[in-house]
Amino acid sequence: MPQLRDSGTRALHATEPVPSAEMDGFCRIFGVETEYGVAVTGANRPVDAGQVAMTMFQPVVSRSRSTNTYLTNGSRLYLDVGSHPEYATAEARNPREALAQDLAGERVMRNLALKAQRKLRESYGGQATIHVFKNNVDSAGHAFGCHENYLVRRFVPLETIERQLLPFLITRQLYTGAGRMTPDGFQITQRADFLDEAVSSATTRSRPMVNTRDEPHADPDAFRRLHVIIGDSNRSQWATWMKLAVTHLVLCVIEDAFRRGGSSGFEDWAFADPAAANRTVSRFLDAPDAELSLASGASVTALELQRRYHSAVESFVAGHREAMDAALAGETSMRGMSESTAAVSPTAVILEQWDRVLSVLEQGDYDALADCADWAAKRRVFKALRHRRPDVTFVQLEQLELDYHDIANGRLYGSLADRSQMRQLLTADETEHAVHEAPQDTRAALRGRFVEAALASGAQFSADWTHLTVTAPERREAVLLDPFSAASTSEFETLMNTLR
Amino acid sequence: MPQQFEQPQSQSQDIHEDDVLTTAGTDAQQQGEDQSDVLDSILDDIESTLETNAEEYVNSFVQKGGE
Repeated sequence: MPQLRDSGTRALHATEPVPSAEMDGFCRIFGVETEYGVAVTGANRPVDAGQVAMTMFQPVVSRSRSTNTYLTNGSRLYLDVGSHPEYATAEARNPREALAQDLAGERVMRNLALKAQRKLRESYGGQATIHVFKNNVDSAGHAFGCHENYLVRRFVPLETIERQLLPFLITRQLYTGAGRMTPDGFQITQRADFLDEAVSSATTRSRPMVNTRDEPHADPDAFRRLHVIIGDSNRSQWATWMKLAVTHLVLCVIEDAFRRGGSSGFEDWAFADPAAANRTVSRFLDAPDAELSLASGASVTALELQRRYHSAVESFVAGHREAMDAALAGETSMRGMSESTAAVSPTAVILEQWDRVLSVLEQGDYDALADCADWAAKRRVFKALRHRRPDVTFVQLEQLELDYHDIANGRLYGSLADRSQMRQLLTADETEHAVHEAPQDTRAALRGRFVEAALASGAQFSADWTHLTVTAPERREAVLLDPFSAASTSEFETLMNTLR
Repeated sequence: MPQQFEQPQSQSQDIHEDDVLTTAGTDAQQQGEDQSDVLDSILDDIESTLETNAEEYVNSFVQKGGE
């Protein structure tokens, strides 16, 4: 559980200066942490899901003597409290790379699940099936998360970020929400009803939208790690990419305004009651024109507010495009995006996608989003199913919805993708590449090399985001404080030499 | 480590290069019919899922902890 605490690395490493290019420009580190849910059906006697999760992690334990490890692609794979398999992507410099790493996580989980399923069937019958859900709510109403991490410049006060970003994050769900069947109707988000406290340090009973956990895994004097927990887990590749990309642009505006001592334009958009606004947005389909009250006394619809953010960001980009494009230089083109725009400006591609989705929402043509917004994809299938089978039950729709999120044995998402009904931004080969290869332009590249060498040599090792350690036969450690740097250090080379 | 896991199955994501909803200019009615054909095929694909015990399936998923 996230706690409010300052970074433990402060005293140790405050002396390393941060290159001014990183502080002055718009570059960023992106990361996504995804918790998966596990269930078993078809077994010939009761099975404990926690036990199944342990079986899934058996190959990890036999390799690492722990359920917590790092992979050759630089990502972290572990078993969280409550038997949630969890995967945290390696440091990425752009949303496309983060997407590739997140999809790699789905593959890793799927492979672990299918291997465990073969073992399970030896004892629980040939029909035993492991489901691994990339979603956010179980049948009993327990919510769990998909957390986005953004490295932000520490000179911006957290209160400023929260105040200016939260209205964006809440209304962003119009296109990033994963959708959920509830007894009260179909909502466009998974978890709005579980996120009751707007911004806070976490406690076990409240679920904040932006978390103040502050372990930057970087120079703590220069950066903080913004930990966003309001987002849903997405199957849609477009949605995963989009939520990171658009949030990045909004953060760029906030950071630059503070740097210049000027205005971002977002100052007066805070909601009077963020949790209430969040619940209203989640019920967007019931009342698309619902007015949300701002703290300023004004009111605005969710879509209008997104349009305001878009316009403000668009104006900002007009004056900073070169620098913003430079920060996303590694963002290569993706399928289905405008190739000509992509070649010129990755920032323009994001703006273009954002404008398109808002236009479609403004027209009320929700089916036109079914290839990119998870909620719209589900909604369209549910409509078609009800048309074909008017007697379909609520619990069947619930089942189908879970099936959509099942990355191990689900059919619905795969069927949509195979029939070209979900945009695939990355090819299967690109995802497979990310299963094995770390991003080459961040610290993750060094971690990946280290893990690969440690596995090859059979050495005992451990790691976290900033430390690489060989624990036996002789303890050696390398500290990598700058997440933007893939350049080797003498300490790192010394460590690597012990593995040869 | 990923090498220790089996090779993932291809999800046949490479097969369809075209992006359905960017095919601007297609005759709207034709596209409407195509879409409903596609949806029919998708419903066929998930028919077997719906034949399993939905109640058991949904209730099997109870998770503890997280976040």
